[in-house]
Amino acid sequence: MNETEEKFGQIYFAVLGAVALAFGVAELIATVPGEASWGIMEMSGIFLPWRAIILLSVGFFYLSSVKNFAEVHQLAKAVMASIMIWIVAGIAIWARIAGSIPGEETWFNSLEGFLASYAPPYCPEMFLLPFSLVIVYYILKEGETVK
Amino acid sequence: MRLRAQVKKEVVKVPLSVDERWDLIEKISKQTVEFGARKHTLKDAIAELTVKPLTGIPVAIAVIYGFWAFFCEFAGTLFTDGFMVRLFDEHWLPWLQSVFPGGLGNPFYALMVDAGHLEEGVLVASDNCFEAFGMLTSGLFIVFGVVLWAILAFYLIFAILEDIGYLPRLAVLVDTVLHKIGLHGYAIVPTFLSLGCNVPGVTATRPLETRKQRFMMMTLLAIFVPCGAQIGIMQDLVPEMMGWIFLTLAIGYLGFGFILNKIVPGKSPEIIMDVPPYQMPTLKNIMSKLWIRTSGFLLVAVPFVLLGCLIVGLMYLTGAMDWLAAVFGPLLMVWFGVPSETVAPLIAGFLRKDLAVGMLGGLMEQGIMTPFQVFTSVILLCIYFPCLATFALMIKEENWKELLGSLASLIAMVFVYGGLIHLVGIMLGVA
Repeated sequence: MNETEEKFGQIYFAVLGAVALAFGVAELIATVPGEASWGIMEMSGIFLPWRAIILLSVGFFYLSSVKNFAEVHQLAKAVMASIMIWIVAGIAIWARIAGSIPGEETWFNSLEGFLASYAPPYCPEMFLLPFSLVIVYYILKEGETVK
Repeated sequence: MRLRAQVKKEVVKVPLSVDERWDLIEKISKQTVEFGARKHTLKDAIAELTVKPLTGIPVAIAVIYGFWAFFCEFAGTLFTDGFMVRLFDEHWLPWLQSVFPGGLGNPFYALMVDAGHLEEGVLVASDNCFEAFGMLTSGLFIVFGVVLWAILAFYLIFAILEDIGYLPRLAVLVDTVLHKIGLHGYAIVPTFLSLGCNVPGVTATRPLETRKQRFMMMTLLAIFVPCGAQIGIMQDLVPEMMGWIFLTLAIGYLGFGFILNKIVPGKSPEIIMDVPPYQMPTLKNIMSKLWIRTSGFLLVAVPFVLLGCLIVGLMYLTGAMDWLAAVFGPLLMVWFGVPSETVAPLIAGFLRKDLAVGMLGGLMEQGIMTPFQVFTSVILLCIYFPCLATFALMIKEENWKELLGSLASLIAMVFVYGGLIHLVGIMLGVA
């Protein structure tokens, strides 16, 4: 990757890491009452403490990857952090899919019920998901360098 | 030639100690392998991150979270709660109740469809398959309504992790912890496999080098690792207790492993394990593994669950269950703090643990047990005896001395650990 890409990566993942860390702290605090919501963001569920730990780790991984970002071991930390977000957000999406198919009174959900299952609120990891996808560009760039 | 002579000279001194063996390997590799300059790829760097404790543990937490959450959503939300409960409770059970000959109170009907239960002295029909306890109702519901989906979800994720190459890295990561109880990091593979079914888990202990390690591993698997079927039913019945149940079992696994390591004679040597590079799993491999494992599981589970329903039903009908409850009831109540009705699930647990936990569900529905008694009973069911299929395999894999040792450990563990849980409950004021 060139210098501009490296610089952009450093700033981008530093910001993303800070946001992930803040979300992680918020989830950790939310474990005390058991749930918390902020606008269309909701933090709840029996796995909340575990998700908080994962999100805090994601934040640390991103932040620690910033220095010398182009170096492959540093980049790997950002990749790992993104994969962790994909796991948690992927499960959140899967939970909505699983809940949206069966109906309450009928075998299958109605179209309205199906669509309503995907309405907000969302967990913090789902907000981070699209931003974490930027790492794919750097993975492809790294692949080109190896070739 | 010089190398061959040197190896010959070293090998003459058999048996080599572990350190001598490693020295020999190093000498051979130094003279035979050429290491060129090689740039680390992203894959290599990620592979390193997943085995270093500081970065590997958070990754392991994320992976296990993904594993467990997928399992709950796939088996619980989508299939069991979404479709199967409705299919069995609203259609299958009422249909059988209406067409099966005999009716409530008839012994054959009770064995096959619905034993019913007493409400204010009157025998009433069950309205769900956990309570009915017939071979065609509870038996089929447990296997095809709950367990099948839990097993599918478990083996799907297990096969993906296996094919990606994550499991050997998890083994490296937990190696230090498992060495404290005399096991190698590889022990995580049979442990994980046992979370699907104890039978392949016990088989997977074969690569462990010494009898001591195999004995310890098999005993720990039989006592502290619930199978996927049992987990699926537990998740359906007591989802809010799952964290505590797993924590209690994990403490028992490590604590009892530590004690076994101290008292069982023998060595716990290192084993060399291949850690392959990360790779993309192929759909064909995943599907074939899923098919082999799930069909193998069903072949073992279906007959045992149906047989279990039949035996328990017969014991109820002949009064044998009441007699056993009267004999063992005081012991269960005083030592473990669970009601005498728990005798029936404990007996069914000899055949299938999932069936036994399902029976506890029936007792919960009837309001016979407090939440803490449910918790204690679930733990007791996990630790008191392996299911018949696992026991049969243990007979095959262990010699009679080891088998007796395993059984003695089981009995001691049930009384010590079960009593301890009751004691903790009394101290906390919940028992």
